[in-house]
Amino acid sequence: MTQKQTDSRQPKSAPILVQMGIFAAVLFVSSLISPLFPASFPVPTPVIGLILLYLLLTCHIVKLEWVDNFGSFLISMIGFLFVPSGISLATSLDTMAKSGIQIIIVIIISTVLMLVITAYTARFLILLHNKLQSSRSAHQSTTFKHHSPFKKEVSNND
Amino acid sequence: MTEALSQPLFGIFLSLAVFLIGQWLFKVGKGFFLFQPLFVGMVLGIIMLVIIGHLLHTSTIEVYTKYYKPGGDIVFWFLTPATIAFAIPLYKRNDIVKKYWFEILLSLIIGSIISLFLIYYVAKGLGLDRTSIAAMLPQAATTAIALPISTAIGGNASITAMAVILNAVIIYALGDWLIKIFHLNQSEIGAGLGLGTAGHTIGSAKALELGSVQGSMASIAVVIIGVVVDLVVPSVARILGL
Repeated sequence: MTQKQTDSRQPKSAPILVQMGIFAAVLFVSSLISPLFPASFPVPTPVIGLILLYLLLTCHIVKLEWVDNFGSFLISMIGFLFVPSGISLATSLDTMAKSGIQIIIVIIISTVLMLVITAYTARFLILLHNKLQSSRSAHQSTTFKHHSPFKKEVSNND
Repeated sequence: MTEALSQPLFGIFLSLAVFLIGQWLFKVGKGFFLFQPLFVGMVLGIIMLVIIGHLLHTSTIEVYTKYYKPGGDIVFWFLTPATIAFAIPLYKRNDIVKKYWFEILLSLIIGSIISLFLIYYVAKGLGLDRTSIAAMLPQAATTAIALPISTAIGGNASITAMAVILNAVIIYALGDWLIKIFHLNQSEIGAGLGLGTAGHTIGSAKALELGSVQGSMASIAVVIIGVVVDLVVPSVARILGL
């Protein structure tokens, strides 16, 4: 199911207050589940909420048009929502001054490492997946590269 | 004057004002990476707090807790519903999730284990002390997971908090450039998982700009990486002798 198909058959979206209500309900339930996890294995409310909302959508209990507008609105301003976290670093100015520039350098390098290593690992594993798939289906068709559903990843960027 | 400042309105207004200045600068500066609205907002906001501290003859930390935090917390709270909103782009590309779930899971586990060891050696090589090194390890998770894990393995939680926030700021500012120089977009799934791991929800918003596949993969990364950090970081810390 691609996004385009979803959009074209998308009925009228739910009123914004109803959408907010669904978000609030999911968050409330998540906040009840979150404390059930042990302290050594913390799973915060937003993470549980994300999983819960995803499951509700996947099981078609909540329809996409009931949450799509409000969700997109929230995601569109996430840069702004993060400003207070950025400004909260004002309280770490002492730590930064004490531990010097090394700590900032380590954080920058770590960020790049996590980005690049995860991306390359995934690229390698997906390539492996596609290779295995195509060698399995190679005897059926020589044009699998253009028809294989496993190549869809490349063509679906919208 | 100080009464007006301690209203939550001040924190909300300051957050909005510095971010809007950032957006304006970003537009005028034709997208220069240091003018990313979040980065500008953060720097200007901190400068404002330092200036107010000087004017009122108190510390910056006090200005932050007394005057900025009441409003800042209100804005910050909306990150919670914004995080669960990432279920929507994830659901929209359920086709990719169903097809590649095993590779996605494996990439995130292997990727984070390799990253952990490399981060450890980089931190050690640059001469950080033990508590700072330990604080660097859980940074792939969101704050609510990273901070308790950091404390559990003997790290300095405030350094971890700083790392998690800076991850997002760095990805927001340098994401496009990093994707270009490392050719990450050759694999849409890889780019998405990387952005979600390194940049948390901000990375996911960045990934959504690249495409629906990247956006959904970044969303799934935010969830899975949290669990992976919960499970893997304590053992890796033990292996490394922290």
